[in-house]
Amino acid sequence: MIKVHQLFYSYDDQNMPVLKNIHMEIHEGEHVALIGPNGCGKTTLIKQLNALFSPGGGTVVVDGMDTRDHKNLKEIRCRVGMVFQNPDNQIVGMTVEEDVAFGPANLGLPPAEIRQRVDKSLVMVGMEAFAKRAPHTLSGGEKRLVSIAGVLAMAPRYIAFDEPTAYLDPSSRERVLNMIHKLHREGIAIIHITHDMNDLAGANRLLVMDQGSIVLDGTPQDIFSRIEAMKDLGLQVPQVTLLMRRLREKGWDLNTNILTIDEACMEISSRIGPVKEILSDSDSPAVDEHG
Amino acid sequence: MVNLGQFIASDSMICRVDPRIKIVSMVALSILTFTANWLEVYLISLFLMIVMRMAHLKFRQMLSAIKPLVLFAALFFLLHLFFTDGTRLLSVPLLHIQITQEGLYRGAFVAWQFIALVLSGAILTMTTPPSELISGLEKLLYPLKYLGLPTQDIAVMVSMALRFVPTLLEEFDRIRMAQLARGADLHTGKLTQRAKTTALMAVPLMMSAFRRADELAEAMEARGYHRGPRTALRELRIDGQDFAALAWMLIFIALLAISRVYVN
Repeated sequence: MIKVHQLFYSYDDQNMPVLKNIHMEIHEGEHVALIGPNGCGKTTLIKQLNALFSPGGGTVVVDGMDTRDHKNLKEIRCRVGMVFQNPDNQIVGMTVEEDVAFGPANLGLPPAEIRQRVDKSLVMVGMEAFAKRAPHTLSGGEKRLVSIAGVLAMAPRYIAFDEPTAYLDPSSRERVLNMIHKLHREGIAIIHITHDMNDLAGANRLLVMDQGSIVLDGTPQDIFSRIEAMKDLGLQVPQVTLLMRRLREKGWDLNTNILTIDEACMEISSRIGPVKEILSDSDSPAVDEHG
Repeated sequence: MVNLGQFIASDSMICRVDPRIKIVSMVALSILTFTANWLEVYLISLFLMIVMRMAHLKFRQMLSAIKPLVLFAALFFLLHLFFTDGTRLLSVPLLHIQITQEGLYRGAFVAWQFIALVLSGAILTMTTPPSELISGLEKLLYPLKYLGLPTQDIAVMVSMALRFVPTLLEEFDRIRMAQLARGADLHTGKLTQRAKTTALMAVPLMMSAFRRADELAEAMEARGYHRGPRTALRELRIDGQDFAALAWMLIFIALLAISRVYVN
């Protein structure tokens, strides 16, 4: 568990605190999405979680280890992996496999063990065929997957993703999101910063930040039902959720705690009843009599 | 695309030889090249050709690797051609120029030395992946650690620098395009004007390099980087074929030494 208690933080050259009195807990195996407007301190907050920054006030404790204690640094950085926004600036190896080996090599593991971890991580993200390629020959999505493999090779318990789908084309975005869900299923806790409300499917908790504080904390269904609060923060609500709200306002008796198209489909079709003749008579549309 | 001897993957025996042996051989060959006499010029040339052959390097690839440096070889040749005293072959009194036999030989020799050095360097880099080259250098420099030189940190720095060469080239292109799109004239104009446009390119490139360096440092730290000992994916090990390669190199040096004794 990562415990953040009364955390304050400000950069050296500014008096204004970037993080103000943050309380939160991230449990093993959770999938937490962190949203909020630009400059609200999201990235600064996740950099606190693996001791890249140390608290100005308050404490951050990872599995019982205080991030301010230098003895704990190595272990904390193994446990909490970090995938930064720009994969170009975090790939350090001259080939894909050397990059993935960077973390384990820092831990001083023997070459045979490093090899094993590298191969396992590359298979996990589906990039094993690219092992010998130079990083600059990869596409944006592939670079992102390589940087995830580099983090996986450290065998982390938590991974923080900083806008992992930024600048990606739709199919790469899909690949990266599927990877995040897969890691979550493997039991790794996910902390996921995003601006795209459609990335939130799968998150079981939502943290909303504004001006250095956490203003909302709850299940996504819970938080998105407070559309007005979200609007005040300049944040959007997923399109499907909005659609369900509108339908409800039109008088349909629908559950509006819905975040994905699949859930919406289930909800709507349960209200309009079963489709009796599925294309049995190709001349007349099957849904006519239910409309 | 500028090609100064980038690594070309192949399964030749030369590619598989331990980088340390290749580096030491290249240094030895360079020293031999500098002290060569006429017979050795032929022997070393022959040796280089055999090695290129064994490394499956094509003549065309080698040519493109040394092409940018041919100009320098020509310059060395001309310098010696015009400024060496000796038996006069040809003189142009009007221009105070005279060409001597010694100058001709000397020029040809120096140009050969230069090309041979570049070629042996190119063979090394074309048959060795950069990462192996660096870990080889790191191991060879290891004794310097006792003089207080942080050899491992240096190895990491060099590999980062090499890793970011393509990235910064891309960045340079992007900046160039951005300046062109805003109407910058990068190709014509007076010298002062062109110096200014160079600054237009250099300043953003530097800024971006610094920003990248910051992020890179954070990313490295996040993955547990710290100064001091670390391990590697591939440990270098010297085995049978490496000893064979070393033996061949020693035989070649012995051959040169013998030729030197008998020729003089």
